Amino acid sequence: MAGAAPDHIDLGRHRDWEGRTYERWLPNFLFGLICLLPLGALLGLFGQTPDTQTVANPHGMATMTLIAPTKIRSGLLFQARFDIHAQRDIKDAVLVLDSGWLESMTLNTIEPSPSSESSSDGSLALDLGHIPAGKLWRQYLEFQGNPVNAGSQSQGVSLYDGNVPLLHINREIRVWP
Amino acid sequence: MDLVLRALVLFAGVYLLLRVVGRRELAEMEPIDFVLLIVLGDAIQQGLTQDDYSVTGAFIVITTIAAIQVVVGYIAFRSKRMRVLMEGEPVVLIENGNVLEKNLRRARIAEDELAEEARLSQVASLRDVAWAVLETSGRISIIPKQS
Repeated sequence: MAGAAPDHIDLGRHRDWEGRTYERWLPNFLFGLICLLPLGALLGLFGQTPDTQTVANPHGMATMTLIAPTKIRSGLLFQARFDIHAQRDIKDAVLVLDSGWLESMTLNTIEPSPSSESSSDGSLALDLGHIPAGKLWRQYLEFQGNPVNAGSQSQGVSLYDGNVPLLHINREIRVWP
Repeated sequence: MDLVLRALVLFAGVYLLLRVVGRRELAEMEPIDFVLLIVLGDAIQQGLTQDDYSVTGAFIVITTIAAIQVVVGYIAFRSKRMRVLMEGEPVVLIENGNVLEKNLRRARIAEDELAEEARLSQVASLRDVAWAVLETSGRISIIPKQS
C-alpha cells in the first residue's frame, strides 16, 4: 500500500496543483519572453547590419552615402564607409564627424589617411583635400565599440568645402551593452 | 563597477533561463546537454569579463557571483514563498502504482522515462511504486510499495 504521503508532500499542492495556477501560465509567459530575444536579433534590433543613408547637396555640388551600422554591441568591430561623389570641384573637402563617432569607441583605421586632422567645436575634422568634379572619394573608418560603452550617441557627419557646408547626415548609434 | 553589474544581470538572466528550461532537462545530462553547458558557460564568460584579463577582474566576478548565490540561498531558506518561486515545488507523479498522467504531461516526462527511473531504483514495475515525486532538483524520487 502507498500509505501516507511522504513528509513535506502536500497532496493538494504537489499532486492536485491547488494554489499553483501561476505555474500554468508563468513558464509559458517567460518562455515567450526568452524567445523574443533571438527573434529581435534575427530582425536586426541588436545590430549590426549596416544602414545606408544618402544625402545630396541642393545646388548639385556633391552627394554623400554613408554605410555604417546604427546599432552595435559593445566590444564588436564595425566599419563606416563614406562615398563622396563630387559633381563639381571640391577644392578643400573636410569631413566633420560628431564626437559620438569617437566617444568610447576605438578608431582602428582611417583609410585613406586625411592630409590633416583637427578638432572643430568638439567634433573631429578630417581634411580630405581636393576632390575633382566627377570623382568618387571613398573613405573607410574602422571602429570598435569599447566594452564599457552603452546607450545612444549622436553620429552626425558633415561635409564642407573649406568653411562652406555642403552636406549633412543626421544619425544616432545605439550601443547595446 | 561594470563587472559587478554584468555579473548581477547575467546571474539573474541565467537563473530565469534555467527556471524556464525546466528542472528535469537540467537534471538529465545527455552528451548534448554537456556540450551545451560548456557553450553556455563560454558565451556567458565573454559577456561577463569581455576584454578584462586581470586577476582582479576575475576575483570581482567570482566573489560577486558567490555573494549573490549566498544571498539567494539565504532568502530561499528564510522565506518559503521565495523558495517556491525560485526553486519550484515537487510534483507527485505516481501514487500507489497509479501514474498521474496529467502531472507527467505538465512536467514533460514520458512514462517510459519514469519506468527507467523506477528500474534505476530497483523497482521493476510502476505498479510497485508507492510514490514517485519529481523533486525541485529535477531528480525523481521513487518510493517502492512495502510488501
